[in-house]
Amino acid sequence: MPGLGTSFGRGGATTAQPDLANADAILIMGSSMAENHPVGFQWVMEAREKGAKLIHVDPRFTRTSAMADIWLPLRAGTDIIFLGALIRYVFENNRVFHDYVVPYTNASTILREDFRDTEDLDGFFSGWDAEKQKYDPETWLYQGAQKTGSSSSPGHSEAGGGHGKDRGGEAQDPAGFRSDATLQHPRCVFQVLKRHFSRYTPELVEQQCGIPREAFLKAAEAFTAASGPEKTAAICYAVGWTQHSKGVQIIRAAAILQLLLGNIGRPGGGILALRGHASIQGSTDIPTLYDILPGYLPMPFFEKDSQKLDSYVKKHSARTGLWAGFDKYFISLMRAYYGESATEENDWGFNWLPRVTGDHSHFGYWLDMADGKLEGLFVMGQNPAVGAANGRLERKALANLKWLVVRDMVEIETASFWYASPEVERGELSPDTIGTEVFLFPASGTAEKAGTFTNTQRLLQFREKAVDPPGDNRSDLWFVYHLGRRLKARAGAASRDAALRALTWDYPTEGKHDEPSPSEVLKEINGWSMADGKQLHHIKDLKNDGSTACGAWIYCGVHPEEDRNRALERNSKDALGHGWGFAWPNDCRIIYNRASARPDGKPWSERKKLVWWDDEKKQWTGLDTPDYEKETPPHAPAHIEEGEGTSALGGARPFTLHPDGVGWLYVPSGLKDGPLPAHYEALEAPVKNSLYSQNTNPAADKKQRPDNPYANAHGDPRFPYVLSTYRLTEQHTAGGMTRHLSHLNELQPELFTEVSPELAAERGLKHGEWATITTARGALEAKVLITPRILPLRIDGRTVHQVGLPYHWGYMGQATGDVANDLLAISEEPNVRIMETKALLCDVHPGRRDRHAPVSERVPSYEESRA
Amino acid sequence: MSVTAFLTDATLCIGCKACEVACKEWNGIDEDGLQFSGFSYDNTGSVGASTWRHVKFVEQAPLPGLGGNSGEQVSWTFSSDVCKHCGEAGCLEACPTGSIVRTEFGGVFIQPDVCNGCGYCVTACPFGVVERNSKDGRAFKCTFCYDRQKAGLEPACAKVCPTESIKFGELEQLRQKADERIAELHDRGMTDANLYDPLDTSVAGVHALFIIRGDARTYNLPPAPEVPTIYLKKAWTSSALAAGLLFGGTLLAFLSAGKNGR
Amino acid sequence: MASRRNLDPTDYRRERNLEEIRVQAEATRQLQVVGQPEKTSFPRATPEDGYYGLPILKKTPWTWEIPLYFFVGGAAGAAAVIGAIADYTGADRELVRHARWIAAAGSVISPALLIADLGRPERFLAMLRVFKPQSPMSVGVWTLLGFSSGATAAAFADFLTRRYGPSIPLRVLENAGQAASLAFGLPFSNYTGVLIGVSAIPVWNRNATDLPLHFAASGLGAAVGMLELMGHHKNRVLHTLGLGAALFESWEGLRIEARSNPDLDPLKHGASGFVTRAGGILSGPVPALLRSGSFFSSRRRSQSLRRWAAWSAIAGSLITRFAWMHAGRQSAKEWKPPVQREAGLSRQATK
Ligand SMILES: Nc1nc2c(c(=O)[nH]1)N[C@H]1C(S)=C(S)[C@@H](COP(=O)(O)OP(=O)(O)OC[C@H]3O[C@@H](n4cnc5c(=O)[nH]c(N)nc54)[C@H](O)[C@@H]3O)O[C@H]1N2
Ligand SMILES: Nc1nc2c(c(=O)[nH]1)N[C@H]1C(S)=C(S)[C@@H](COP(=O)(O)OP(=O)(O)OC[C@H]3O[C@@H](n4cnc5c(=O)[nH]c(N)nc54)[C@H](O)[C@@H]3O)O[C@H]1N2
Ligand code: SF4
Ligand code: SF4
Ligand code: SF4
Ligand code: SF4
Ligand code: SF4
Ligand SMILES: [Mo]
Repeated sequence: MPGLGTSFGRGGATTAQPDLANADAILIMGSSMAENHPVGFQWVMEAREKGAKLIHVDPRFTRTSAMADIWLPLRAGTDIIFLGALIRYVFENNRVFHDYVVPYTNASTILREDFRDTEDLDGFFSGWDAEKQKYDPETWLYQGAQKTGSSSSPGHSEAGGGHGKDRGGEAQDPAGFRSDATLQHPRCVFQVLKRHFSRYTPELVEQQCGIPREAFLKAAEAFTAASGPEKTAAICYAVGWTQHSKGVQIIRAAAILQLLLGNIGRPGGGILALRGHASIQGSTDIPTLYDILPGYLPMPFFEKDSQKLDSYVKKHSARTGLWAGFDKYFISLMRAYYGESATEENDWGFNWLPRVTGDHSHFGYWLDMADGKLEGLFVMGQNPAVGAANGRLERKALANLKWLVVRDMVEIETASFWYASPEVERGELSPDTIGTEVFLFPASGTAEKAGTFTNTQRLLQFREKAVDPPGDNRSDLWFVYHLGRRLKARAGAASRDAALRALTWDYPTEGKHDEPSPSEVLKEINGWSMADGKQLHHIKDLKNDGSTACGAWIYCGVHPEEDRNRALERNSKDALGHGWGFAWPNDCRIIYNRASARPDGKPWSERKKLVWWDDEKKQWTGLDTPDYEKETPPHAPAHIEEGEGTSALGGARPFTLHPDGVGWLYVPSGLKDGPLPAHYEALEAPVKNSLYSQNTNPAADKKQRPDNPYANAHGDPRFPYVLSTYRLTEQHTAGGMTRHLSHLNELQPELFTEVSPELAAERGLKHGEWATITTARGALEAKVLITPRILPLRIDGRTVHQVGLPYHWGYMGQATGDVANDLLAISEEPNVRIMETKALLCDVHPGRRDRHAPVSERVPSYEESRA
Repeated sequence: MSVTAFLTDATLCIGCKACEVACKEWNGIDEDGLQFSGFSYDNTGSVGASTWRHVKFVEQAPLPGLGGNSGEQVSWTFSSDVCKHCGEAGCLEACPTGSIVRTEFGGVFIQPDVCNGCGYCVTACPFGVVERNSKDGRAFKCTFCYDRQKAGLEPACAKVCPTESIKFGELEQLRQKADERIAELHDRGMTDANLYDPLDTSVAGVHALFIIRGDARTYNLPPAPEVPTIYLKKAWTSSALAAGLLFGGTLLAFLSAGKNGR
Repeated sequence: MASRRNLDPTDYRRERNLEEIRVQAEATRQLQVVGQPEKTSFPRATPEDGYYGLPILKKTPWTWEIPLYFFVGGAAGAAAVIGAIADYTGADRELVRHARWIAAAGSVISPALLIADLGRPERFLAMLRVFKPQSPMSVGVWTLLGFSSGATAAAFADFLTRRYGPSIPLRVLENAGQAASLAFGLPFSNYTGVLIGVSAIPVWNRNATDLPLHFAASGLGAAVGMLELMGHHKNRVLHTLGLGAALFESWEGLRIEARSNPDLDPLKHGASGFVTRAGGILSGPVPALLRSGSFFSSRRRSQSLRRWAAWSAIAGSLITRFAWMHAGRQSAKEWKPPVQREAGLSRQATK
């Protein structure tokens, strides 16, 4: 989550769902929260009932819109225009929370003279390398910035990777930064921002988003009026923002808005990233991603200087702020992995870690697989045959494997592609010729095993096992542990087996199936002292001399005593839920909460107090755990020039993971597609970019190839409509967990498409009957649901129709239907490598699809379409 | 034991259908078909033998006030329906086996081990709630979670509702709450909010009150439901008359025909 | 540089085509509009059509057994009344006996039909747990029980008497049975009208007054018809009764046709309307005309006309019961009737 990570320091929601009840306005954009987070939505309703204004900006009128005071329909993919216009509104109408912005953000910091904005270069920031198709971000740095790392351009290793930069960009030494507290310097961030967003006018919103000017202004007023010392406003988003070729920059725009309004670190404020699966936050904290290690420590890359721990640590640590402890976090992790085998002499086992050599993201290796470069694959808890973009390519690639292991609770499409997929139906694949050996292992479900979830608000909750898994079902922990054990037993003397030999792999097991104990794993994640095995209490206990082991530094404190598992605690003491579970870091429910007090340590207002300085006790106190050095008084001066660690930040810099301790309106490093958000059209869009002649995010990777084609980038007569995919409350993601359950299937039994009455008339679609939707990748059939909840938008003087499509169906289970992702292209946002699912081009016709030919062979070529 | 009731508030319902599913889970009810209906997001249609809670998705003409500046564009209201547990319950009165009883909580409960599947209650419910299950032939409907209430728990549907759209409590208190809520909604500009509680009709009020937007008929709530027993007097009088006529007429015919009646 | 990223000239052939298409699209910039929104229709919820026009009421789950039961019960009840009164007035023994047989047959077939509807015999016993005066079905079941015992007892006693000669116990049994079958037969022949009249189904409850009378007449017509066909086609009393029933049925039919209540639509329109009218015509005007005609005809012709009238009345009675069931189902399907009665119930809190 580098959007939040680079802006504030941590890649996690800044607030907690119950805190939404304290908001005076809530902007939900890029999510249908009522539908996809219905339980969390109770606090939104609570806020609304208390008088908060609820604004929903979404192409469709959803169940969330139905609850809102204001719904604004916007053309998918134009969020940055909308948010940019909000930012401009804040400037134009003097809504900037100056007393917050000056001390707590980098508004005053001065940029280099050679920095050029998209406004100057027609859609490019300075540093674009047309040859390499990427940015050299050198010029984005602050004036006087010194690089502490050894790599040439901070934050931009050759081989991809964005998650590791969640910690706020590569280390920079703030010693030489210059600033202008009056915010008048023409190159200070504040002025640059003002200029950058000056073209994002309400008129542009009307022309490009399709939102009438007055409607926009109404929403802008409602949102910005609910900010300031006495009030706060929150923003909630989910994949309606992230799954774009510029998703990170949309979130960045939200971060800028919230910083300018002073809404971060304060009750009822913040940005809530609504994360998807039950523990998806957990799976980035203790990552299932290829480019980071637990706690957002970057995975070492295969580079010329990557052999030495020293240079790795130097590159990623900072002199000031929390990242000064990088070596402590890292070495403690190595001690958790390798125990006594990790020694100072062998660089704590640094070289036992693999190196990232290229794009090993999902799509990266899947395309390798399609090209026959992969032999085997484990798929655990994922259903890419349905959930991943370009379904046809994904499934056909599976047929290139020698072996495939699928662990799931049901026979999912990924495991049955070889006999049940549309490719088999069409004769593109045949069970007779597919060489892939498929192993389907039964996995136990959540109720059949113990362990923790880390939910959307960084809250770890440990749940006990409710029932024993039936038959051969086993937990994933069991599978991975015993697989590791067997591999370890086979490790030979060869040097390539050294890591395996060194690995500690000694979790106690219990029961007749030798289930490893998840609480033992959690203890290791929490960390202990190597000498006496005592659990650690606090991140501050971590050491860089090998005396501590810790599986994920950010989780330190979750299991502070041998017999105290805070994730298991169930005594909620207050509205923020302290006493129920454990929120990382240090059980802070609202992070950066030092910002809830004025620089002098007093709350901004009585109504919005959260954390403050207690002059009697000489410490920070309040309604939440202070996300700050407890004993550093507000007036403690900063020693940015020469100090070390968090103490160098003094008493009034709330964003302690940033070396300068402030929130970043402008991100000098850590992002691949620019320091500021700029509007680009989606990779497939019905119109040209009206701001720059550069149409799309230049750093995005289209992965364009014959099996992954695109419609024309702006206006393709064969695909005149905008297509967006989304979820339904009644089904879950790729369907493995819902399409086998009758009580859910009866509620949404079939794939359908939502279209406006106008589009239905234009194309002759009939309510309740079939329609075929085509894109450059494929075709599918869906039942037609005509509804005025889908509005045709006026864009640039012409009508743009939208086609809505939920994506939950596949060919297995009780309720089957075509796979929406067969329509999508594999594409990669530059920072997190996510695909664009929310804005595409399509066509729609009445009738069912041709079951025999793949659409790519039926989409007319240009010559044919002219005839 | 006090009389308990539901107050289901459409202005708070987000249409998540958790109540519908929770009811099925708690009561172990079968799925009732995998048909795409095309009625907005409602693929269930109505309450019945295999659906005791049912969420309506009312796509109607724009409404004033809350809900996606609906005054200008569209509006979508969700309302979770259930057996009304009528004060004067047609089903209960009609049941020839005594299977349907009124519980100590004031709910109307079908004892499944007594019901013989005669189906008479089905024709007697003015709300179209109770229905005969086509598999085993007995009649089913919401039990008002009699089992849970007996154990001191609130009904499953109310328990899961994330937004407290389904309120469960003491009937008179809920009536009062409902009036307060409607006043509040009117103050907030939702001038079409109203309470569905057919007190002055022959069903003598219901134990499932509904706060809705606009006309009750849009939600298939009959404005003036009738308990069929109001027709008893008419029908039996007429039956007596018919018997009298039959008897008298036949007697007269035979008598007037004289001996042998030929 | 700018366009390079969006469309690489070295791209595949298809992509080059796209570039050309783009140019062309930009030139025209126009989407072709094929139709207008009015042409599409989709369901909406409105006060006029309710919730997507879905029915409010549940239709009766009863299948063919129940209307057949209505028919059998009506005829059997009326037959028992005829038999008893014929006996008391000293009419033809054969007529009494035949009437008793019809009643007895009816009292065996009736519970069988009910049980067939319930699915399992023991389910019928559940009816006997309670007696609920406010439940027409409960009253009806007890009536059926009384009637069945009476009618079978009378027929049985009659049979034994004929076989083994008269005896005092048999006489007592016969008399008691006959008395019971008369007492219960009177309500039994028409309570099914109460049964459906006291319901939430508009087309039924709107006719709560008419239905018992109508069903009684229909049952009488059928009973008369059956007796006539069993060889009593010369019996004048039956002829009179048949004529009376037919005239009453004709009047009933006219009444329905004359009322313009839309709740009665299922009786007049569509398939259910057709069946209702067919049943009505066969039980009312047709036998009435045939019977009237028979007064003015030759003897042979008159008898044949009466036979036709008998058949018509039986068929009419049978069809009528199915027609009411059909109309009830149709009525439950219609959204409007149950909501048409307005009442100011929506409480809008007074501020
Ligand atoms: N019931 C249920 N709950 C779920 C899931 C589920 O499948 N079912 N999935 C879980 C998962 S994995 C996730 S990631 C979350 C996702 O939660 P959400 O992000 O809420 O999910 P979506 O429905 O995919 O998309 C949200 C909304 O974005 C809108 N949208 C599309 N394009 C744009 C755009 O360009 N701009 C803006 N502003 N909005 C746009 C869509 O119309 C849609 O209403 O939900 C989680 N919760
Ligand atoms: N077009 C389009 N595509 C999308 C999206 C979109 O909005 N539009 N959204 C994207 C998003 S946000 C997401 S998160 C993905 C989701 O896509 P996937 O993650 O591929 O889909 P799921 O169905 O959630 O797959 C999870 C699988 O894990 C199984 N499972 C559950 N619990 C366990 C367990 O304990 N152990 C094991 N081994 N298996 C378990 C489930 O049965 C299920 O099959 O889809 C993405 N794809
Ligand atoms: S499924 Fe779980 S995580 Fe999602 S809303 Fe429901 S309770 Fe919350
Ligand atoms: S709504 Fe129908 S089923 Fe429920 S109590 Fe009333 S009459 Fe009975
Ligand atoms: S079906 Fe069951 S509950 Fe309904 S009336 Fe008959 S016996 Fe009573
Ligand atoms: S009260 Fe119980 S039985 Fe009735 S709808 Fe709610 S959950 Fe279902
Ligand atoms: S659970 Fe509550 S919010 Fe969800 S559909 Fe039911 S009544 Fe509405
Ligand atoms: Mo997700």
